[in-house]
Amino acid sequence: MPEETSNLAARRAAAGDSTAVVHADTTAKWFLISSIAYFFIVGIIAVTIAAKFVWPSLLGSVQYLTYGRLRPLHVNGMLFGWLLAADMGLTFFMIPRLCGVKLWSEKLGVATAALWNVIILSAVVCLLLGINQGLEYAELPLALDVLVVIAWIMFGANIFMTVASRKYDQMYVSIWYIMGTILWTAFVYLTGNFAVLFATGTNQANLNWMYVHNAVGLIFTPVGLAIAYYFIQKSSNMPLHSHKLSMIGFWALAFVYVWTGAHHMLHGPISQWLQTIAIAFSVMLLIPVWAVVYNFFATMKGQWHQLKDNVPLKFLMSGVVFYLLTCFQGPMHSLRSVNAIVSKTDWIPGHAHMAVLGAFSFFAIAGTYYMIPRVYKTRLFSDALGNWSFWMLMMGGLGFFVTLWLGGFWQGWQWNNPAIPFIDTVVALKPVWIVRFFSGILMFVGIVLFAYNIMATILGAKDRPEAAAA
Amino acid sequence: MQQDYVYPSIYFSYFLFALLAGGALYFFVRSLKHGYLSHDSEEPKYRMMHDEEGSSHE
Amino acid sequence: MLRKADSNFGFAIGAALVFFFIGGTLTTVVPPLIDKTWAKPFENNDPTKGPTGKLKPYTEIELKGREIYVREGCWYCHTQQTRTLLADTKRSGWKGVDSPISTPDEFVYDAPHMFGTKRTGPDLSRVGGKYDSQWHKTHFRNPRDLVPGSVMPPFPWIADDPEELKAMTAYLQSLGRSKNWRPDNDYEK
Repeated sequence: MPEETSNLAARRAAAGDSTAVVHADTTAKWFLISSIAYFFIVGIIAVTIAAKFVWPSLLGSVQYLTYGRLRPLHVNGMLFGWLLAADMGLTFFMIPRLCGVKLWSEKLGVATAALWNVIILSAVVCLLLGINQGLEYAELPLALDVLVVIAWIMFGANIFMTVASRKYDQMYVSIWYIMGTILWTAFVYLTGNFAVLFATGTNQANLNWMYVHNAVGLIFTPVGLAIAYYFIQKSSNMPLHSHKLSMIGFWALAFVYVWTGAHHMLHGPISQWLQTIAIAFSVMLLIPVWAVVYNFFATMKGQWHQLKDNVPLKFLMSGVVFYLLTCFQGPMHSLRSVNAIVSKTDWIPGHAHMAVLGAFSFFAIAGTYYMIPRVYKTRLFSDALGNWSFWMLMMGGLGFFVTLWLGGFWQGWQWNNPAIPFIDTVVALKPVWIVRFFSGILMFVGIVLFAYNIMATILGAKDRPEAAAA
Repeated sequence: MQQDYVYPSIYFSYFLFALLAGGALYFFVRSLKHGYLSHDSEEPKYRMMHDEEGSSHE
Repeated sequence: MLRKADSNFGFAIGAALVFFFIGGTLTTVVPPLIDKTWAKPFENNDPTKGPTGKLKPYTEIELKGREIYVREGCWYCHTQQTRTLLADTKRSGWKGVDSPISTPDEFVYDAPHMFGTKRTGPDLSRVGGKYDSQWHKTHFRNPRDLVPGSVMPPFPWIADDPEELKAMTAYLQSLGRSKNWRPDNDYEK
């Protein structure tokens, strides 16, 4: 340990000789601000569809606001409008700093952000009108898919050109994950949105599930981990436990994740041997997950007290715990015996929300809380409000996850007893949906506090210049 | 349908597991030989802690 | 090698893609080449091998109904697969007859596929012929009139549009019928 510390000091002194780079961060700001706006707007939709489970006739005569139109809007809005856009914004913040150079083209970046907003706004219109391709996560019409590909190429070119001109030879693990995200997403997205159109039936379903699974596994996971690997070290001011271990996690993820798509159709009309392969590789996912999580926990060794008054770190470390849990559930669901109970039940939304909200959105929120004051050269508007947003999202999230797991498990047992009429299993779940609705309100309050805190930080930046505190 | 029920897939999984373990071992030995597992290779994690903008947190 | 990947940009990209493509190819391109049932429409004339029948392409009106099913997002809450679970064959069954399990060859003409992933409402893989068209009309107008406790949204704009209702019902009545599984042939119209 003493050796490492002195090493760090020496390296800092050496790096101090180089000329400082001034980052414009315009692109990062654009992406972050628009993504937070979608987080808020889509949050309203999320609460509405939770309410529809409690009052099924709510807004029932308006066809544009029926459940089947709002659900894809909620999913696409949260995934692409909020989370992916926030992740891209944070990438535009991290990459130039990790490479020690300016972003390759700030103009191209701003154009990417503008195009992204065009895509999201068009998606809202299409989905409300019922223009839907009928494939999960790939609901958007072909024209918008093409725009997404263009935007992704613009994003990828900007990042890759920046990395190619980097000042340091060896790349930090966040750069790895971001490069992986850009490359894998390209192929995963093409499979899920273009290749599927040339297939039917089981073949199409297999491609669709490969895409859906890897939208989470090879888009949100690697970019989310890139964010965690960057901001956990930055906000705790502790170097990572092990660079080598992070590499093992990266390569294991690269190899293992893509095999598992068919676990979404266990017991279904798809070849048994393909189901078995998916199960075997799903269990192997424990390797990259535990490698990553161990690295984070070991980094925090002796530093947990920092969580007391460090808002980004709170989000980050609870995100890591949720990541561990969600990635333990995943392999367990893929076992045939467990799958026979939980598959297609309300357990699954509980699991999905823990991954996307509990883990990856928490990482993105933490990154935003860390980044916004720094790019605007100010302090966070209110740490107390930041804490409140954390606890609201945490309590709402836990209420949501836990009740849906319990309810879903119960539902699965009931389904496996054919003597119980189906409608009785629906009625039995109503208390669960009521709790889910109120948890959703808590989560929405958390989103509002987060959005307000960030907005107030940006608007009041001039009145509160950066403090000289650590 | 019956013949693809269990056995061939199980053997295929064993084969893949063996392939994976073999590959992991191979790359581990090579990395060891090339000196990857030395203290030097940990450099990036220290460098990323240094903020080039010279801002407040030291 | 790892050292090389650590600092060589092109090498890292290549390795990341190779790793990805091994699994990507083996699980997406290869399976339909090995398992021919994914692309061959169901046909069986031998009662000793299970239910007989033949999968026919959708008619024009069924396809129109299918478009409505996609547009309204019915597939977010209704699966279309009778899985290899005993309970599924009982629940998809009718009047004491267990339903046959769903096989890939029954879905060859499905694009987009409607297997679904969440069962807020019951599975529809064998719903064809269970309820008559008057039942469906009433059910679309307000599901709770027929099934108290249901959480399905009302679809008055379908129930009140004769053409859409006809198409929708035609599609629903076609589901799961390629396997002629009901011994008395007592399908409702």
